[in-house]
Amino acid sequence: MFVRLLWESFRRQKRRKALAGVAILMGVTVVTSMLALATSIGDRIHKELESYGANIVVTPLAETLQVNIGGVSVKPTTGGVGLRESDLAKLKTIFWANNINGLSPELPLSLHVGETTVPAVGMWFAPKNGKAAAVAMHPWWKLNGAWPAKDDEVVVGSSLAAKLGLKTGSTVGAMRVVGMVTTGDETDGQVLMPLSAAQALAGTPGAVGRVLVGARTRPEDAFARENPDTLSPKKKELWYCRPYANSIAYQIAEAIPGARAEQIRKVEQSQGQVLRRISGLMWLIGLGALIAAGFAVSAAMATAVLERRGEIGLMRSLGASRGRIAALFYTESALLATIGGCFGFLLGSLLAAWMGRRIFEDAAGGLLVNLALLPAVVGVAVLVAFAGSTPSIRSALRMDPSATLRAGA
Amino acid sequence: MQGSVSSRRSMQAISMRGLLLRSLKHKPGRIAAAVLGLTVSAAIATAMLTLSLDITEKLHHEFRSFGANVVVTTADKTAFPEDALVKIQSAGGSDAVAAPFAYAVMKTDRGTDVVVAGTDFGAVKKLDSWWQLTAWPTAQNDSLLGEKASQFIRNQSDVKLSYDGRTLLLHSIGQLRTGGEEESRIYVSLPTLESFAHVAPSVIEVRVGGDAAAVEAAAARMRESLPGLTVTPVRQLVDSESRIVGRMRALLLASVVLIALTVGVAVLATMSSSVLERRRDFALMHALGSRRNQILLLFVAEAMAIAFVGVVAGYLLGSLAAWGIGELNFHTATLPRASVLPVVFVMNLLIAFVAAMLPARALRALQPAALLRGE
Repeated sequence: MFVRLLWESFRRQKRRKALAGVAILMGVTVVTSMLALATSIGDRIHKELESYGANIVVTPLAETLQVNIGGVSVKPTTGGVGLRESDLAKLKTIFWANNINGLSPELPLSLHVGETTVPAVGMWFAPKNGKAAAVAMHPWWKLNGAWPAKDDEVVVGSSLAAKLGLKTGSTVGAMRVVGMVTTGDETDGQVLMPLSAAQALAGTPGAVGRVLVGARTRPEDAFARENPDTLSPKKKELWYCRPYANSIAYQIAEAIPGARAEQIRKVEQSQGQVLRRISGLMWLIGLGALIAAGFAVSAAMATAVLERRGEIGLMRSLGASRGRIAALFYTESALLATIGGCFGFLLGSLLAAWMGRRIFEDAAGGLLVNLALLPAVVGVAVLVAFAGSTPSIRSALRMDPSATLRAGA
Repeated sequence: MQGSVSSRRSMQAISMRGLLLRSLKHKPGRIAAAVLGLTVSAAIATAMLTLSLDITEKLHHEFRSFGANVVVTTADKTAFPEDALVKIQSAGGSDAVAAPFAYAVMKTDRGTDVVVAGTDFGAVKKLDSWWQLTAWPTAQNDSLLGEKASQFIRNQSDVKLSYDGRTLLLHSIGQLRTGGEEESRIYVSLPTLESFAHVAPSVIEVRVGGDAAAVEAAAARMRESLPGLTVTPVRQLVDSESRIVGRMRALLLASVVLIALTVGVAVLATMSSSVLERRRDFALMHALGSRRNQILLLFVAEAMAIAFVGVVAGYLLGSLAAWGIGELNFHTATLPRASVLPVVFVMNLLIAFVAAMLPARALRALQPAALLRGE
C-alpha cells in the first residue's frame, strides 16, 4: 500500500515533482561545481603564477660577487664559473626530481663587437630531455625571427639591437643574427646564443654560470619557511618530503656539490597571500551557493507539501496515522533528493570541468570532483529536503482534517 | 445590460487597488514566504554583482606584493630631471608607488667590489614587501647586506666601504634574502649614498595599479611627461596579473549567473504555487463577472508589489553581505554600488512576473462552476 501510494504520487503529480526535482537538481549542481572550483582554485592560480618562469636559481657557492647594475655587468665576469653542465644530470636523483619541469643553464660572457663590449648569455633554447628550457621558461619573451638552431646563430635583445643598429641577417662577430627578442627586462640589452657556442667563446667548455629551475611546487606557508637544519629529525623529514620551493632548493644544493640553490622569493613569497585571498573568495562564494541551494530545495519541498494539504486531510480522515503520512512525505522527499542529488552531482562535476576548461584553459579537463564526495553531497541534499519539508508537514498534520477538506477542494 | 456594464466598471474602479491591498493583507504567511524568497534572491544577486564589479580592483590590490611593474631608466649615465619622481607619481596615478635607486661600486674590507644601492626605504618597503629581512633600516647609516654580499665582508656589524680613497662607515641591521641579484648588493638610504659618492638615481621602479592596459597607459603618460627616459613595463608581471584577474572575474560572473538561476527557480516554484492555491479566489471572481485578464492582472500586480519590497530589502542585505565578504576576505571595504540595483530590480521583477503568469494556462482551463462546487 505504502509503495503504491508513493508510486501513484510520483505518477500523478508530475509537474509538482518535476519542480521540486529541478530545484534540488540545480541546488546540488551549483554547490558541487562551486565546491569543485573552490578546492582546485589554489592549484590553478598557482599554475598560472608558475608562468612567471623559474622559481629556483642555482648559483656556484664560491662565486665572486656579481657587480651588476640593472643587468649590465660593471666589471666583466672573469672566471668564477663553478657549475658544470654535467652536474645537471644529478638533478634526476633528488626526491622531487619529477616535479622539475624546466631547466635553463646560463653562461654569461662579454662579447666584443667592433670597439664595444656587449653582455651576452649562452643558454639552451630548445627543450632538453623532456624539460622546458629558456624559451619555454620565459613565456613573456616576444621573438621576431627565429631562435638560434646552430652554434653560429644568435638572437639580439631589442634595445641592444637598436643601439648597435642590428637587424635580422646582420652579423655580430662571426655570428649571424637570426632574431630579435623583446623581454621587458635586462635581457633586452644582451645577445643570446646557444650554450655550447658561449662555452667555446669563453674558453670554458662544460661550464655554467647559473641554472634557472622551474619546479611544480606547493604554495609557501609558515612551515615552508622553517630552517630545515634546526628542525627535529621527524619534522625535517616532513619538510623535506613536501614540494615547497624551499625544500626542492635544499635538495638541489645537496645533490650538486659547490652549488647554492635559492628559491626566487619574488614569486614564491608573494603568491601565498594572493592564493589565500582567491581561494577564500571562492569558499565564500561556495557558501553563498550552499545557502542559495538550501533555500531553493527547502522552498520547493515546502511548496510541494503545502499544495497537498487536501490530500493529507483525506488520508487522515480515512484513518491513516500521522506517523504513516509523515513517513510517506519524508520518503518522497528522500527519493526526490537522492535522484536530484545524483544527477546534480554529475551535472555539477561536468559544469566545473567545463568552466575550468573555458576559464582556465586546462589541458586535461577530466572530472574534478572526487566520487567519494557523492554520498556526502546526496546526504546533505536529503537532509536539506527533510528540513525544508518538516515545517509544512507538521503544520499540515496539525490541521483539522475536516477543515482542510472543506477549504482545500 | 447597460446597468451591468456600468456596475462592472464602477466595481473595477474601486476594486483593482482595494482588491490588491486586501489580497496582500489577507494571508500574511503566504506573502511573507514570497517576500522572503525574493529578498534572498535579490540579496544574493546584489552581493555577487557588487563583488564582481569590485574584484578587479581588489585583486590588483593584492598583486601589489609582486613588486614593481614599470621600470624607468635614464639614457647613458645622465641624471633624472629634478621633478622626475613627482611626474612619475602623478602619471602613475594616486596609488602608484615609486622608488628611486642609485648605484655605486665600492670595495669591501676584503677588497671585493660590491654594488652599493641607495634608495628610499619607505617606498621599497611598499614596493618589495617580499624581501626577506629582519628589520627595515631607519637611521641614516643603517644598511642591509645582501646575503651573498655579506660573505665578502669581514666585519659585519660596522661595515667599512672604501670609495674614491674615502671610507664610508655603515651600521648593518641585518641580511637581505631575495633569491635575486639584490643579494649581491648592499642597500643604504639614498641621501647617504648621494652625499658620500655624489651619484644620482639611475633607475626608478614603479608599481602601477590596474591591468595590462592601465599599465601601458601609465607608461605612455610617463614617456610623454618625461621625454628622453626609457620606460619599460615589466611584462612578466603585467601579463600574468591581467590573465589571473580576468579569469577570476569570469569565474565570479559565471557563479553569479548559476546561483541567481537556482534561487530564481526556487522563487518561481514558491510563487507560482501560491497563485495556483488561489484557484477558488479566481473562480469566485470569475463567477462574479471579472474577466480573466483582470484577475491575472491582479495576480501580476500582487507579484510586482512583492518583488518590489523584496528587491529593496534584498539590495540592502546584499550590499551588507558584499561589504562583509570584502572585509572578511580582502580586509578592505566593498562599498554598495547603485549600478547593480537596476539589474537586480529587472531580474527579480521578471522572476515575479513569470511566476504569476506561469499558472495562467492552468487557470484559464478551469471551469468556475466546477471548481466552486468543489470538484
